[in-house]
Amino acid sequence: MAGTAPESCRRIELRLAATREGFAAAFDQLRSGLDTLSLIGRPRLSVELIFEEVVANVVRHGARPDGRTTISLDLVLQDNAVQLTFLDDGVPFDPRERPDPAPARDLEHAETGGRGLMLIRSVCKELEYARTPEGQNRLIVLVPRDAATGARMSDGARSGV
Amino acid sequence: MKMEITEEEEGVVKVGLVGRLDSPGVDAIETRLTGAVCPRGARTVVDLSGVEFIGSLGLRMFITIARTLSRRKGKLILYAPQAFVAQVLETASLGDIIPVQPDAASALAAARA
Repeated sequence: MAGTAPESCRRIELRLAATREGFAAAFDQLRSGLDTLSLIGRPRLSVELIFEEVVANVVRHGARPDGRTTISLDLVLQDNAVQLTFLDDGVPFDPRERPDPAPARDLEHAETGGRGLMLIRSVCKELEYARTPEGQNRLIVLVPRDAATGARMSDGARSGV
Repeated sequence: MKMEITEEEEGVVKVGLVGRLDSPGVDAIETRLTGAVCPRGARTVVDLSGVEFIGSLGLRMFITIARTLSRRKGKLILYAPQAFVAQVLETASLGDIIPVQPDAASALAAARA
């Protein structure tokens, strides 16, 4: 199609070990790739936030004890959105079933964790999950490129969750 | 992730952060920050103006430190977050449990109150 960038210029593919070291190296690769795609501003920070939360969750909670769990990311820059597809072969985890932490009435009773999925939901407009026949978690997240869409993160779409 | 800790007047500790509070960033500072302010229950203000990104581990770190300080008669106050960080703090309703001030002057005043 005339005027459309080649597919390779609109895509980032990463594969990493579900370890802290793998995470840190892949995060650097992701940011270099986002530089190449010239993705800036809120959509970029939203993509980085989703990557951080999804991968950290697999590393901390989803990795199998044998240390061989891997995660892949396929990021595609669409005209109005960024689609991120995560695949991991860790333990089954459906984020749609995980509720947000209850609002804290004070510091003493606040839950320290559990906010990662809340943050993901707040910056995406669609979130789909499936356990594949191959035994992988597949998470597809769509991030709007229109900054105004994500202006109020607390209004993040839940309809797709 | 860079961190600078300075002593202000009236026993307030000021923490300046520059960089990203992602997982590696939190790993880089959490132990040192906790050790610098928690044992003595310091009244602590944290300058977030140089922080462009925060994830849930950063939120967790601040909640844990704030709770420890509160139990020791200290307090934690954040100030001057950039737009994206401010949105994350708002989404997580962090301001309900940890004060977030717009600038250094108001943060220091709140710390001394």
